Parts: sequence; C-alpha cells; structure tokens
Amino acid sequence: MANVTFPFPFPEHLLALLPEMIVAVLAMALLLLDLFVPKEKKRMTAYMAALTMMAAGAATLFVMTPETQVAFYGFFVLDHFAVFAKLLICIATLLGIVLSIDYMKDEENIGEYYVLMLFSALGMMLMVSANNFIIMYLGLELMALSTYVLVGYQRDVLRSSEAALKYFILGALSSGMLLYGVTFFYGVSGSFHFVAIAQGIAEAGSSAGTAVLLGLVFVLAGLAFKVSMAPFHMWTPDTYEGAPTPITAFMSVAPKVAGFVIFMRILVDALPGLQHEYTTILIVMAVITMAVGNLAAIAQRNIKRMLAYSTIGHVGFVMLGLIAANADGYAGILVYLSVYLFMNMGVFAIIILMRREGIQGELLDDFAGLSRVRPGYALAMGLFLFSLGGIPFLAGFWAKYVVFIAAIEAGHLYLVLYALLFSAVGAFYYIRVVKYIYFDEERVAFNFVENRMMQATVVVSAIAVVALGIYPDPLIDLCQKALGGLI
Amino acid sequence: MIPLTNYLIVAAALFSLGVIGLFLNRKNVITILMCIELMLLAVNINFVAFSHYLNDLGGQIFVFFVLTVAASEVAVGLAILVAFYRTRRSIEVEDINTLQG
Repeated sequence: MANVTFPFPFPEHLLALLPEMIVAVLAMALLLLDLFVPKEKKRMTAYMAALTMMAAGAATLFVMTPETQVAFYGFFVLDHFAVFAKLLICIATLLGIVLSIDYMKDEENIGEYYVLMLFSALGMMLMVSANNFIIMYLGLELMALSTYVLVGYQRDVLRSSEAALKYFILGALSSGMLLYGVTFFYGVSGSFHFVAIAQGIAEAGSSAGTAVLLGLVFVLAGLAFKVSMAPFHMWTPDTYEGAPTPITAFMSVAPKVAGFVIFMRILVDALPGLQHEYTTILIVMAVITMAVGNLAAIAQRNIKRMLAYSTIGHVGFVMLGLIAANADGYAGILVYLSVYLFMNMGVFAIIILMRREGIQGELLDDFAGLSRVRPGYALAMGLFLFSLGGIPFLAGFWAKYVVFIAAIEAGHLYLVLYALLFSAVGAFYYIRVVKYIYFDEERVAFNFVENRMMQATVVVSAIAVVALGIYPDPLIDLCQKALGGLI
Repeated sequence: MIPLTNYLIVAAALFSLGVIGLFLNRKNVITILMCIELMLLAVNINFVAFSHYLNDLGGQIFVFFVLTVAASEVAVGLAILVAFYRTRRSIEVEDINTLQG
C-alpha cells in the first residue's frame, strides 16, 4: 500500500504474534535440543512439542482482545475468527502429536518429525491470521512443505514416499494456480491486501471483467486443491492411505481448518463483489464433491482410504456454508470444523491403537469382531462413525444441521435436498463398519497398542461427540461470536 | 515501449506450457518439477509486468518470496523423489502406481 505511515510503534503490535513466535522459537530450539536427547528417550521431544502447542494455545487466549488487532502494517490480523481457528489448529496438532508418539517410535530421527509438525502448525496459524496474499502464501507454503515431508516420513515404506510424491506434485501445481490467480487481482487493484483488492475490483468495474474472472477461477482452484474439493481431490485418497496414520489424522483436520478459514476470509474480505460468480462455481463443485466423496467411499476396503473419501464428502457439506455466504453459514462452517476435529481424531486414534505389524488394522475386515474383544473401543468407534454419518443427537448431526439450515435460508433448497440424499449414502458406509465391528466374527487375532494417552484421546473425543450432540448450543454460540471479526 | 498485454501473453503461454507438460508428461518426474518451475516463472513475469505497469513495488517484492519458496519447494520435492527412488528404483511417472483404487 502506498499510503502506509511508518512512525507508529512497532513492538506494541508484535504482541499479537506471540503465539506464532512461541511456536517458531520453540520449534527451532527443539530442533537443536533434540540432538542432545538420547535415542531411547526421544519421547521427550514429543512431550516438548506437545507442550509447545499447549503454550501456543494459551498464548492465543492471552493475546485475544475484544477488538481486532492489526500488526505489521496491516499484513497480519488477529480477530476472534483467527483466534478460534488457531485454537482448533493447536488442538488438532496436539492430538496429532499424541497419536504419533507410539506409532512413530521405531522411526529414525524422530525428533525432526515433531519439529516439522510444529512448523506446519505455525504455517497454518499464520495463514488464518493473514490479511494479505503475501502472508497467506507464505503460511500456506510453510504448512504444505512441512506436510509433504511428514507424509513421506517413513522413507523405507514405498507407499509413504509415493504418497508424498503425489501430494507434492499436486500441491505444487495448486500453489502455482493460486499464485497465478493472485497476479490478476494484483493487476486489477495494485495491492495484495484483501480489503484493497475488494476496493480495486469494485473501482475497476466491468472494464477488468476478464482479468478478475481469471483471478477468481485460479484462486478458487488453488484453494479447492488444499481443502480437497472435487474435481481437485485426486491427491486425497492416495495421500491419506500412504501417509503414516497419525499424519493422516493430522492432515485430515488441521489443514482443512486453515484452508476453510482462509477461504472464508478471502471470499468475505477480498471478493465480496464477485459473490454471484463464486457462488455459481462453488455450487457446481459442491455437487461434484458430495457425489464423488460419498459414492467412492462405498467401494473402499481400506479404512484410511474410505475416510479420505469421507473427508471429501464432508468437505462437500461444509461448502454449503460457503455457498450460503451468510453469517449462519460461516458460523456453521466453524461448528462443522470443530466437530469434525473430534470425530476424525477419535476414529484415527482407534485405528492407530489397532495397529499390528506393518499396515494391519487398516482393512475393514480387521475390525471384524472388535466388540467382543474390546467393547469400549467398539462403542467409541461406533459413536464416531454414527456421528460422522450424521445420526441425530450426536455432534455430527448438529454440524450438518447448522450448515443445511443456513443454506436453506440463503435459498438453496434443492442443493440441501441433494446433500441430504448423499448424507444418507454416507451413513450407509459408516454403518457398514459398525456392522463389521458388532456382527462379524473375529478373523485375525487382535493385538492392541496399550497407550494411556491415545486412550485418553479416544475418551476425550467420545465425550466431546456425545456432549456436543446432546447440548450443541454453547459451541454454536461460540462460533457465532467468533465470526464477529469476519463480518 | 512493449505493452502490458504482450507480457501477459508470454506469461500465459509459459503457464499453459507448464500445466500441459505436467499432465501430458508420461515419462519422468524430473520433467514435472521443471513444469512446476515454469508455472512459477510465469507467475513471476505477471507480477513484474503488473508491478512495472502499476508503478508499485509490491509485485516485485512478492517475486522474491515466490523465488525463495520455489527454491525450497524444489529442494523438498527432490528429497522426496530421492526417497521414492531408493525404494522403487525408478522415477518413471508410470511407476508411481502402488496406491490405487
């Protein structure tokens, strides 16, 4: 921006970045400290990484103020919306670290793994606070580059490196498309600030129609890749299947939160003048996304792959909130993302607890007869799956309910009926897993990992799913308040 | 003086070449990395052209960031490629086929 005035005091605004600074400094310190941690005590690194995420979450609450804070000459914004997203990211990363401790204990150089998770979280935290395409791009790439490496962390496992390679190629393509779109917004408005871009587009009017439309299409495509909307979802199943399971859990939640939050911020702040255009594009993509996700999931035998398609299906439902483009829709997205965090982390925690040698515990058949051996796990798994399927009075039902109602309010009744149809299809393949758990005979001997922290994750997620299912109002209120910064 | 449109056409051509190369290439993963680089260069040309045309330095500053990130992106990409090669003993695109369904 040409008219920025420099003399205001710099350090005062730095406080808004306290959570990010904590993560950045501690992650780098941990990278050094890890060298002095003996091989058999690598758990220490994980605990320190977990503490870092807790500290970041606490710092986020600490620096929160009722009014919106802006730092670095308008590049960085800290409003309630960003605070809410950062808390979700901190929780997701924390749970991801907890799930990794046992799963990754036999890997070499495991210290770097946790540091990379912290850097990925740092990228996401920057991304949700971005008020400018430069910060957004840097946050996005920090997140993406760390995640590529995490996906390929099991270097001796072919499918891990292959998943990383596929994820990398398509991720790099999507950032290229995103950037190409940003160039056109810059050309029209002469700025990278979201609000200035909105002004520039409004002032240019129809004279810059083609450039603006090109920019919109490419930016939407780039963002759609990151949150795996069809037809840009191809990487999702392969990456989810090949990645180490804790990373699958992590990347099915945290980057989706960051992606949808920045999606909302860009649509609301930078592109309000193009609402008609982007709604049309999003409706087409939502129709494809819901169909692809829910139909392809039926054919899967591997539960990680099934959950990848289920993620795509859920992304389709979340998109209804973007299409509704009203306060209820955006609040609904936040509700959906928070509920999805607990459901998905719970499911993946149980999958990891069931890990046997190599890749077992991933095929649907491996779940046969679980209820007889471990009724507790079976019950929790049933709860998560029913919740994911949107069965009433579990958290997942309310998540869908809020988004669907918002879309009806905005006049998209037929789209919601279509979504209802596909959530029924979705319920089918979730309930099929429950059938394996409760009604089939045990085929392979179970051999569970005994890990108190992972069991605690399951218990916490199960309580969250049930409690939010019975009494969702506080979460919905909280999400509506969090929107204050955005709208 | 060369008009802005010419720069944009060059960039669009480069970008399309990158995308087409990425999808049509059936041979080698290294080529894919080059195609990605080509796309980012097209982005940079766009930024510099707009920056000059608008008389605003922001675009050129973004180019530095894009260059830096592109370098680290390729570093990560090549590292992943090496890890893949060690287990698969090939970097042919058609050999990236373990995960399917």
